[in-house]
Amino acid sequence: MLVNDCMMRHPIMISPTTPAAEAQKIMAENQIRHLPVVGSGKRLEGLITSQRLALMPADLGSLNVWEITRALGHLTVKDVMVKTADVHCITADRTIEFAASLMTRNKIGCLIVVEEDNVVIGLLTEADLLHAFQEMLGLPAKGVRVTVRMPEDERFIHLAAVMVENRWGVMGIGSFPSPRNPGYWDVVIKIPHVSVDEVREALSVLTNMTIADIRVSASPGE
Amino acid sequence: MTDFIEKRMPPVLKVEDLAVAYKVRGGEVEAVLNVTFDIQRGESHGIVGESGCGKSTVAWAILKFLGDNGYIKCGSIKFQGQELVGKSDEELRRLRSDQISMVYQDPMQALNPSMRIGDQMKEVLTVHRGLSSSAAEKRCMEMLERVAMPDPANVMLRYPHQISGGQQQRVVIGMALLNNPALLIMDEPTTALDVTVEAAVLDLIADLRRDFDTAIMYITHNLGVIARVASRIGVMYAGQMVERATVEDIFKSPQHPYTQGLIRCVPKLGTDKTGSILYPIRGRVPPPDNRPAGCIFSPRCDYVRPLCREQRPALRVIPGTNNETRCHFSEEIDASQWQPSEEIELPTLSGRKVEEQPILQLDNLKKYYPVKGNSLRDVLGLGEKRYVKAVESASFVVPQGKTLGIVGESGCGKSTLVKTIIGLEDATSGTAKFLGFDITGNISGRDKKLIQELQMVFQNPDSTMNPSFTVGQQIGRPMRLFKTAPKHRIRAEVIKLLQAMRLGENYYDRLPRQLSGGEKQRVGIARALASRPDLVLCDEPVSALDVSVQAAILNLLLDVQQEFGTTLIFIAHDLSVVRFFSDYVAVMYLGQIMEIGPADAIYRPPYHPYTEALLSAVPIPDPAAKQKRIRLEGSVPSAIAPPTGCRFHTRCPRRSLLPDPEICQTEPSWQMASDTHRIFCHHTLETLSSFEQVITTT
Repeated sequence: MLVNDCMMRHPIMISPTTPAAEAQKIMAENQIRHLPVVGSGKRLEGLITSQRLALMPADLGSLNVWEITRALGHLTVKDVMVKTADVHCITADRTIEFAASLMTRNKIGCLIVVEEDNVVIGLLTEADLLHAFQEMLGLPAKGVRVTVRMPEDERFIHLAAVMVENRWGVMGIGSFPSPRNPGYWDVVIKIPHVSVDEVREALSVLTNMTIADIRVSASPGE
Repeated sequence: MTDFIEKRMPPVLKVEDLAVAYKVRGGEVEAVLNVTFDIQRGESHGIVGESGCGKSTVAWAILKFLGDNGYIKCGSIKFQGQELVGKSDEELRRLRSDQISMVYQDPMQALNPSMRIGDQMKEVLTVHRGLSSSAAEKRCMEMLERVAMPDPANVMLRYPHQISGGQQQRVVIGMALLNNPALLIMDEPTTALDVTVEAAVLDLIADLRRDFDTAIMYITHNLGVIARVASRIGVMYAGQMVERATVEDIFKSPQHPYTQGLIRCVPKLGTDKTGSILYPIRGRVPPPDNRPAGCIFSPRCDYVRPLCREQRPALRVIPGTNNETRCHFSEEIDASQWQPSEEIELPTLSGRKVEEQPILQLDNLKKYYPVKGNSLRDVLGLGEKRYVKAVESASFVVPQGKTLGIVGESGCGKSTLVKTIIGLEDATSGTAKFLGFDITGNISGRDKKLIQELQMVFQNPDSTMNPSFTVGQQIGRPMRLFKTAPKHRIRAEVIKLLQAMRLGENYYDRLPRQLSGGEKQRVGIARALASRPDLVLCDEPVSALDVSVQAAILNLLLDVQQEFGTTLIFIAHDLSVVRFFSDYVAVMYLGQIMEIGPADAIYRPPYHPYTEALLSAVPIPDPAAKQKRIRLEGSVPSAIAPPTGCRFHTRCPRRSLLPDPEICQTEPSWQMASDTHRIFCHHTLETLSSFEQVITTT
């Protein structure tokens, strides 16, 4: 899955001369936390986040309420935005794992997706990555979700052979180093049209692997 | 990302309670009122309605293209969360260049005829994106490939007039998408295109919407097109949005009486003359300066009650449905129990027995136009003579009292054939006998009696009616010329004919400019019938009319045929209209009749591969209907140098089924499916019969 597959195309964008108050209103009405700022040709000039619009008490200083109102009234997006140099961007052909690592390393909640000349074509947020994660593990599909734990020198092909032999369709699959079990890997598979007992019995032939978790998963709520 | 897991996103466009007015002398006219809808990312939202309902005005209001005297009276237009009403011209200009694009009906409106295609496309990127010329050229070539333009490098060097209408529209769509807009407004983009070209362009729009995730606002009057292209539909009537729902709900269970009426008056492809009558909507659309106080549709509604005349209904969700409807009593209306009111003029289809003697016989009729060359050899008369072979070997017989429908795309020769029959063109060779008399010679040599018996109804009555003469004078003229009535009785006869056309005596003294489109066409039909002809040739008489008016005119023509026993030859490009209206149908391609037979037989196998392609392309006003997808590659070859042998073979999707496809370069023979049904094809009847039904309705 690439960034192109997960990003939101045509995000809401504003110009740098938009009053900050209007930007805040747009974000509140549309329930968004990130607003790319673009100039002509949709070229990226900055980013507005809800944090940037929150005023620190220390910034207000000794201004009285009228002075504060006057100052706020003249604020434009350009005055409060994160400038381009500090905005993290990504291109649409990158993998979502790379996008996720960029976000975690920089402790940010979104990436602006750009093409040549810094033209904004989309927005990738934490929420988009969480959606992708859910879909990769087959969340919305009804089926049996099983976590198989195997030593890291074990070969996945043995598990695959069981899947093929039993003609399991796979709605989602993921693998990762088993947390708190060094030397082991966990493989999560979502299998439709089977029962828990069928899966247990089928996997019992794999002597070097254990079932760390197994359950019926039918909807995002379960 | 698909909707596998639903993501909440704000709409790209949100219009709320929009009202648009135009300042006129003495006040203002409210063209649009109370319009509310929204369009999500990647969604195609259709706006459908008849002429003058305000659908284009809504589009122009979004773009602020209203003109000097137009303005947004009230309401809100939010694009990407930002209010457009009240934005400065500069801000709107930037939005229009970067995020909103529009595609018009006539691509020549958007294309500069004096600039090469490539230069115009590059300009979008060099001006709005600041790209270099070489970078812009590369992007334009990629876009032309994306819109399936054959030979993009060549097209970049051409001028707009050097490519076909379908290709022009592809260029315009490509230009609109170059800047990757969030919203694409399409105002009848396929109305001017032939049906096979239209089908290919609609497929392209669906692909591009999916790939670019662009929100599309699709404006059209054609219910078949909207069923194919839109996921949600807003129905507009007299400036208001009267119903809004998903495309499935609109067609399966329309809640507003106007929507129900619209669907009733659209010819369906699966029905025939006796199986389904068209029910026009009675009355007329009120002018914008004279709308009723209550529900705007109330004067024409079959379910009207006192409250409807007093109070304008609000748009609301009807309980038990997902439709938003502007009607006080939608819940109480059961469309399945509807009966036509007495005011609706319905044809009487049973009854008059006709003698099936042939009235018109064509035998190998040809019409070629000489082409003048530009070389010196041509000037000296030494060059090879070339011809536009507009009609090739047309042979058929039309029985008296029946209707022959001729269907085909632009340039197929159907209008030339009809003009040759009526005498506006001289035949090149072959014979045409009308009532046993040869009519292939020059019309000046034709007997006056023959001219009297053979009349024509034209597509556009505006251009065939003298604007300075009254309706009475124009209808009376043939009566005077052919002496079908004594001078002192002409007025009475004209009034009688007007009444047969459901027009009152008061129309006698009106001028053409005082008539609506449907009324002008009725006068055109009356004028054709004034001489009491035996045969009337109708050249696309309803294609320029709204669907409810079209239904009334078709019913009228059927009635005329029943009452007067007139034989009709009816040209149309709309297969569903031809199916409904005709007893026999001839399908033409590049001057050649490819198939001819009873209407029932043409629309199911065995059929000619071209007929099959036409049926697969026609938009059906039923989203539940299944339609095979057959798309013809390339464009229609030139009639100056048509392909040898079968003229369709260069585009035939069934050619590879032949044991030896090269045989198509020889002239096919007629495959006789029955005495009256023949197909001009190399395929055997068995093969042609094995083709699947193109359209299956649930």
